Amino acid sequence: MSVAQSGERVETSPGGAGDGVALAVRGLRKTVHVGFWRRPVEILRGVDLTVRRGEVVGLLGPNGAGKTTTVKVALGLMRPTAGSVELGVASLSRVGYLPENPYFYEYLTGREFLAFCARLFGLGGREREERVARLLADVGLERAADVQLRKYSKGMLQRIGIAQALVNEPELVLLDEPMTGLDPVGRVEVKRIIQRLHGRGTTVLFNSHILSDVHELCSHVAIMREGRVVWDGEVAAALAQAATLEEFFMRVVGGGEAAGVAP
Amino acid sequence: MSPVVCCAPPGDPARRRDGAGLSQVGAIAANTFRETIRDRVLMVIVVFALVMILGALWLGSISLGQEGRMMKDFGLLAVTGFGLIVTVFIAASLVRKEVEKRTVFVLFSKPVSRGAFIVGKFLGLSLTAAAVLAGMGLFLFALVWAIEGRPSGMVLAATALVYLQVETVMAVTILFSTVASAILSAVLGLCVFVAGQLSDNVLSLTRLGHNAVTEAASWVVFVVVPNLTAVDVKAAAVGEQAPDWGSVALWAAYLVAYIVVALALAVAVFRRREV
Repeated sequence: MSVAQSGERVETSPGGAGDGVALAVRGLRKTVHVGFWRRPVEILRGVDLTVRRGEVVGLLGPNGAGKTTTVKVALGLMRPTAGSVELGVASLSRVGYLPENPYFYEYLTGREFLAFCARLFGLGGREREERVARLLADVGLERAADVQLRKYSKGMLQRIGIAQALVNEPELVLLDEPMTGLDPVGRVEVKRIIQRLHGRGTTVLFNSHILSDVHELCSHVAIMREGRVVWDGEVAAALAQAATLEEFFMRVVGGGEAAGVAP
Repeated sequence: MSPVVCCAPPGDPARRRDGAGLSQVGAIAANTFRETIRDRVLMVIVVFALVMILGALWLGSISLGQEGRMMKDFGLLAVTGFGLIVTVFIAASLVRKEVEKRTVFVLFSKPVSRGAFIVGKFLGLSLTAAAVLAGMGLFLFALVWAIEGRPSGMVLAATALVYLQVETVMAVTILFSTVASAILSAVLGLCVFVAGQLSDNVLSLTRLGHNAVTEAASWVVFVVVPNLTAVDVKAAAVGEQAPDWGSVALWAAYLVAYIVVALALAVAVFRRREV
């Protein structure tokens, strides 16, 4: 449905992405200007990516590959220099997003923060209270619901971050490094949440450096390098060409264009 | 590649992403008020301000029959100074902090426009400033009443007009913070306050010199910088004299217009920025 235009804000156009497609990124380019002399740096060099409805897709790549920028442009948080983004959901209000290393309002409690996010979607009264209570239960933060966020651990913040991304009951969820910095218990909890979302038919796209998690959760992966998607396909197809996802990833990002691996 | 023109009609749910709705502004304002009013630094500053106002009791005791006058003079100065410090420093970091800590990504991935964000932040901090200044103003009012044995409505009027001055500086500081760092924005905000106290006098002085260039320069400063002295009735409050309320009302309307323009500029600048 939605279309991101080069140099302009993302607007929406229902049905734009085509049947069965939750997110379609075409020829996405992004150049930023840095330093005193405004030197141009090309972050995205023509990203093509398709995410089908109901899939859990891992977006992989080394640091600086353009994963976060791709997600931000897809959401309209950044303007593309060229290219388009089409979303296959009813409106951008049906998309949920967790930024990387989220930091929230430290003097609000978890319940207040989620209620605030719900208000931004126009939810009010009893519906808001019920939604917030259910989300707190879903992410296992019922007992910490009335504790201020500055007292939350990193894992708790990550979970409240996921909860805020789900406050609008999205059809498409974009999670930027949801497992980074979490201890094993925190990772397991976040993985369970993603599995539950998948079970409900929600489309999930997440960036990660933790390949074992991607292997465990995803049906598809897309691997980025230097501002392009250099390989995308099913996890099974990747594993048919290498013993582990890690080995496959190293071959793709380490060598030339897709390092001779088959799509 | 040419931009894709998009076509969701007005009112279509697809446009909700641009959400400039009042409910978003209200939610952001309420959230900002709740967040800032709970900040411990704010509480420390307010307590310190109340102690300073109490300190005027001592000044009054050594001023030979001028206790009430000293209390009003020193107290209103403290109300202005601490009100300004609270709002400028919070306003300077209000937008920057959200950008640097990435909370804007959470907001802008929801149906929140840049305009709703800036206006909501301003209104939320305005509520905080109102609470802080009302607390200090009422405390001073009660002390003056206790000392003089009669209530002084001018103390409350002066505090209300200090609030308008502070609101003006807050809007300008928020505008600065959309392009500059928090520290620089705070410094510039304080500079605008100081310049706003002086611009009227500078214009009068340069007219005496009969130099066209300096007079034109001071006119530019007078137009660009808000004339804060025009609504300053502290001296009248201390002397219990009635100011020219008609003139004060006109200048107050000018400051409200100034705030609207500063916020509109802040929204325009912030819309162009990539966060």
